Amino acid sequence: MTLLNALVPGFARPARASAPAADTEVRVKPLYGVREDGHGYDVTVHLPGVAKDGLEITAQENQVTITGRRAWTPPADWTALYRETPRANFGLTLEHEGDVDADKITAELKDGVLRLTLPKAEAVKPRKIAIS
Amino acid sequence: MTLVRYNNYPLTSRYASAFGRSPWAGLENEINRLFETALTDFAPAASEHRFPVDLYEDRENNYVRAELPGLAREDISVEMVDGYLTINGSRKVTDDDGKVAETISLSRSIAIPEAVQADKVAAAYENGVLTVTLPKREEAKPRKVTIDIK
Repeated sequence: MTLLNALVPGFARPARASAPAADTEVRVKPLYGVREDGHGYDVTVHLPGVAKDGLEITAQENQVTITGRRAWTPPADWTALYRETPRANFGLTLEHEGDVDADKITAELKDGVLRLTLPKAEAVKPRKIAIS
Repeated sequence: MTLVRYNNYPLTSRYASAFGRSPWAGLENEINRLFETALTDFAPAASEHRFPVDLYEDRENNYVRAELPGLAREDISVEMVDGYLTINGSRKVTDDDGKVAETISLSRSIAIPEAVQADKVAAAYENGVLTVTLPKREEAKPRKVTIDIK
């Protein structure tokens, strides 16, 4: 490796320091679906193993971030024989066109399924114009 | 080394975002998901039609944990036949009016490596995760034998 570093100086470059430490945690993107109608968006996210207190939803200007921490870790005396589930926490960032009324976002978590309702702001809803 | 996801593709503009109507959005999501799953863990990806399972053991029991979010308890069935644990479930997808629009059937069979007491298998469902506890047979439990050295 030292030889390689000597030949290609770029390899020895330190990692970019600009990335904030909190963002380096590996997260898996959960299964999700988005449905849109005239009133807003309905988002369904599968978050198995996430309890209510491990769930964090933040709405910013034009994005919604969902972070789900797994409520369960195997007890110390359990040995894993076969694993398919990732250990990492869930993370999902959805972008929208800034047409969501952030104050009216509702969320419901039941049996590992999060249902998020993002109502559209009144100003951007389609309006019928009466002809006089 | 930590992998930091590069988020500034020109493609992830508003048109290709999850809310956009780009014809590639679905494919892009799928590719992203495959990459992310591959990088996080070498396990088959969960999908709408497949659910991941884990198999654990301790001294007394084998445990199977299956991620089955959003199922009604009555729609899950667990069977133990000939050393295989079979989990069947169906997810009811509702439309806007709350009517059942689609039913997705899910099924997995897992080979249980040790002899278990099939009549004492118990299952619990919490936060969308099904945990099946399979008590080991007496002869399969590890036994500690102290041998006197003369």
